[in-house]
Amino acid sequence: MNQAIFFIKLTVYITGLSSFSLLAYAQELYQIKGRVLDKSGNAIVQATIILLPDRHTTLTDKEGRFSFDKLYEGTYQLRVSSVGYYPIEQDLPLKKSSSVELTMRPSEASITEVSVQERRRSVDNLIKAENSAMPVKIITRREIELMGSRRLDEVMKEQTGIAVVNDIAGGSRAVGVQIQGFSSNYVMVLIDGQPMLGRNSGNFDLSRISVTNIERIEIIKGASSCLYGSDALGGAINIITRHGAVAPQAHASFLYGTLNTIDATLEAETPFANQRGSVVFSGNYYRTDGFNTDSRYLTEESTTFPPYTNYSFQGRTRYRITKNGTVGFTGRYAARNSKMINGWSDDITIEDTQTDQDVNLSASYDHTFHSGLRSMTRYYFTRFHTAMQAQWLRQGILADAEEFGQQVHRVEQQFAYSPIRTVKFTGGLGGSIEIMDNQDLDEERSLNTAFAFLQTEWKPIDGILTTLGLRYDYTNVYDGRLSPSFGLQYHISPTLLAKAGVGAGFKAPDYKMRYQVFYNPAANYLVVGSDRIADVIQAMENSGELSFKNSYMLNLVSGNLQAEKSLSNNVGLVWNPNSKWQSEVSAFYHRINNQINTIIVGGTTSFSTVYSYRNLPKAVNKGFEVSTTYQATVNLQLSAGYQYLIAKDLSVLDSIRAGGWPYNQTINNPVTGESREPTVADYWGIEDRSRHMLNLKALYEYRPWEINFNLRANIRGKYPFQETTSNQFIDEYDEFVPDHVLLNLTIEKNLWNRKLTLRLIADNLLNFTHRNMLGQPGRIILGGLSYRWMKE
Amino acid sequence: MKTLQIILNECRSIFLLGKVFFGLLFILSLSSCDKDEDPRPALEDGKSTVIYDLAGDIEASMAEGVEGKENRPFYTFLFRFRDQKQVWIKTKQDSLQWLKTNDWDLAFTGPYNSEVYVNNANDEFNPGYEGPASHSAVLLLKQSYQSVIAAPSDEEFDQSEVTKIGWASSESSYGWFRYSLSTHIMQALPDRTYAIRLPDGKYAKLQLINAYKGNPPAVTNMNWPAPYYTFRYYVQQDGSKNL
Repeated sequence: MNQAIFFIKLTVYITGLSSFSLLAYAQELYQIKGRVLDKSGNAIVQATIILLPDRHTTLTDKEGRFSFDKLYEGTYQLRVSSVGYYPIEQDLPLKKSSSVELTMRPSEASITEVSVQERRRSVDNLIKAENSAMPVKIITRREIELMGSRRLDEVMKEQTGIAVVNDIAGGSRAVGVQIQGFSSNYVMVLIDGQPMLGRNSGNFDLSRISVTNIERIEIIKGASSCLYGSDALGGAINIITRHGAVAPQAHASFLYGTLNTIDATLEAETPFANQRGSVVFSGNYYRTDGFNTDSRYLTEESTTFPPYTNYSFQGRTRYRITKNGTVGFTGRYAARNSKMINGWSDDITIEDTQTDQDVNLSASYDHTFHSGLRSMTRYYFTRFHTAMQAQWLRQGILADAEEFGQQVHRVEQQFAYSPIRTVKFTGGLGGSIEIMDNQDLDEERSLNTAFAFLQTEWKPIDGILTTLGLRYDYTNVYDGRLSPSFGLQYHISPTLLAKAGVGAGFKAPDYKMRYQVFYNPAANYLVVGSDRIADVIQAMENSGELSFKNSYMLNLVSGNLQAEKSLSNNVGLVWNPNSKWQSEVSAFYHRINNQINTIIVGGTTSFSTVYSYRNLPKAVNKGFEVSTTYQATVNLQLSAGYQYLIAKDLSVLDSIRAGGWPYNQTINNPVTGESREPTVADYWGIEDRSRHMLNLKALYEYRPWEINFNLRANIRGKYPFQETTSNQFIDEYDEFVPDHVLLNLTIEKNLWNRKLTLRLIADNLLNFTHRNMLGQPGRIILGGLSYRWMKE
Repeated sequence: MKTLQIILNECRSIFLLGKVFFGLLFILSLSSCDKDEDPRPALEDGKSTVIYDLAGDIEASMAEGVEGKENRPFYTFLFRFRDQKQVWIKTKQDSLQWLKTNDWDLAFTGPYNSEVYVNNANDEFNPGYEGPASHSAVLLLKQSYQSVIAAPSDEEFDQSEVTKIGWASSESSYGWFRYSLSTHIMQALPDRTYAIRLPDGKYAKLQLINAYKGNPPAVTNMNWPAPYYTFRYYVQQDGSKNL
């Protein structure tokens, strides 16, 4: 829905378009001229005009006129902003010199952070995030710039309802993103609509990804398997990268500061072959010394937030081979090296090294038929490899070593078609093959998937939009599964929009959960996949190795592992009462069934325990989110976001009610020594989830000096860190991360018609650290500049 | 004049921003000053002996987890309440010299030295089996350490079935810790105090507190060094049951 479009009376005159010419590809230079007017036809003076994607900038003169010269043929966008008016963004296909007349609607808002309502189309993916029927949060390139963030995790953790948390059980490097209470292994991460690999105990570490070449980020909060299949059980993060400009240009930026952090980027983009093609190349270097949040227990050289060096390179090229067909290629390579010291004393020091490599290659062919049918053919290859080693330095003893690699080939054919104005279809089918490097343990470990999907958007009457999505996935290690979604939007009044959606998600058990037999020498246990457990236990029993077995559990789990399932529901209101206020409130209820967990099925004489996998009955994440933006003065924008969340594992409640060991232990107050019998009210919730999260933001622009101040407070209520009272559920006396505030400030100064930008970034100004927040460094101050060259 | 007004207008928003900023700073600084405070009550009570970070067989624990390498079992060590003496049992010679004597009170055995025995001659798995400590016994009291002020009766000690104090894998277990299957961390159970009748007939109470170096409130690293025992005890020297 594009509400803005209803209000902006916008007239565009492009002269001489009627003379269609086959000479369009000749290398000629054109001009765009235009005027910016208010409703009554008066000229708007000193309005800022930005020409995208090249980012040429100019101001209107006394008569509201502006012009851009020496432009190649191509599709441009004009972004117009002025104090006291709503910003406008307008597509402009340029085939001849054109003139444009733009009318702006008055507003109290004037901030350059343009909140564009229009969802711009992705160049190589036809699937639309909104079709998930779940709330979608879009973070634009400009918002990222204004935050001064360097890595994707830094951007994400400032969003309401999203947290970046360490998974202690997964090792010192396991960090993942959590969305509305869903842990990282239920959140799919995609780059340009293609899934990324590389998880550590299910956690996807977003700090692997630099934000420099990102055009925008789409965050889907809730089950989105109807778009992306298995794994998108709790949500998805789709990173859309930049795809090229119309005029040759280059961009360099450099930041340096606390912890010897360096963030250096070089980008270059140019059209070629008379504007039929474009190419973008970018490279980023990032390093940090790491940070120690636990100086009470760890030696000075230790870090809990690992030091690392990261390189990444990306190239994209697109070429129009016919009038209706465009081919595109994307390549990305990223590598990270990290060496982390953890010392408890000089002679008890562990050195942990890790190297990661990540390759993503994709090719696409986009074709629009005369009937209006658009087709997108895509091929994608990705490979991830990681090697980790930990060694006790003084003793020379290897503590841990691990290496694994995996790769995926994926083919997909997408279609988009709109038979009538009120109906849009998006559909597709495809398949993928995922192969693990380590084939020697067992029979070939590959996962083959086939899928088909169809999404429908239908506007039965004005003011109502319905979406219906269906997707079917089939894999060789698990049966097929259908994931539906349904969404409804209704304009109750011009200022009030009601939204509701339901979506299903699933995560199929992977190969290891069904077939793998895995021995962990570190903790001396054996884990056996559910389809093999009966045979393995029988064999052990026959050879006399078995010391005990849990027959009840064995019968329950053997060959009976179900996919994890979720059902997400949301209902909300969007209210824009006047030009100063924008508010949204939504309630969500996510139910997760059949969560997979390990369970003891037996013990042997040579190693302590034998585990297998089983499904837990149910978990629920429920709560609500409120967000509002208020234009306090023409140059000051205030916004706030709040999430209330209750995340509970319902099987814990059952266990407390049943009163079995160890849930039946008394709850002890360690200070007073008092104790009481546990009740369900003593269960606080799942680890790492805050009940309250509040984000406050003030954005101020001082126009005469072209300075932007962006101050953000990220406030989190306390959340459980670890179960320490040995009753296997979180109660109030377990270990928590206390209530805290992270205050971040970014100051940006533009010079020379926005060619040069100076930045000062201060993260965590209050210097809040806690030993249970391993990944949160103290105060960080960075300064730097960026410069943009443009061929005139 | 007009310019002045424009400047003043601009300043108003700066002032507002300033107010918001400092208001926030003030509220937030209140909430962020008491970080990293250990809420746990102090272990010292004025009369008990508190042992911090008594190192167990660290070398064996570091070698755990190395694939393809034969792990040697953890060496047992003995502990004597009287003078806090730690004695390692690494060789046959050590065993002959120490095990069948009254010169020790506790033995830390098994994986991560986590299985604790009170010197006793009657239990065949006790390192002091067939030694001189025939009268000793131990009882588990499900009370906090401070609240145990008297040793139970001798009849109760005589009937005690407590032998090994290790992993409390079930409700009926006398063990002192639980092992979390999700985090793989050993954690002491709250409100478990052991009343002991020592080989020399004196009464004592014992609490095992932590196996991780530094007695941290939470273990934040899977390689956190262990076993380093933190425990406390009190031996009534006058022979009475007052603890």
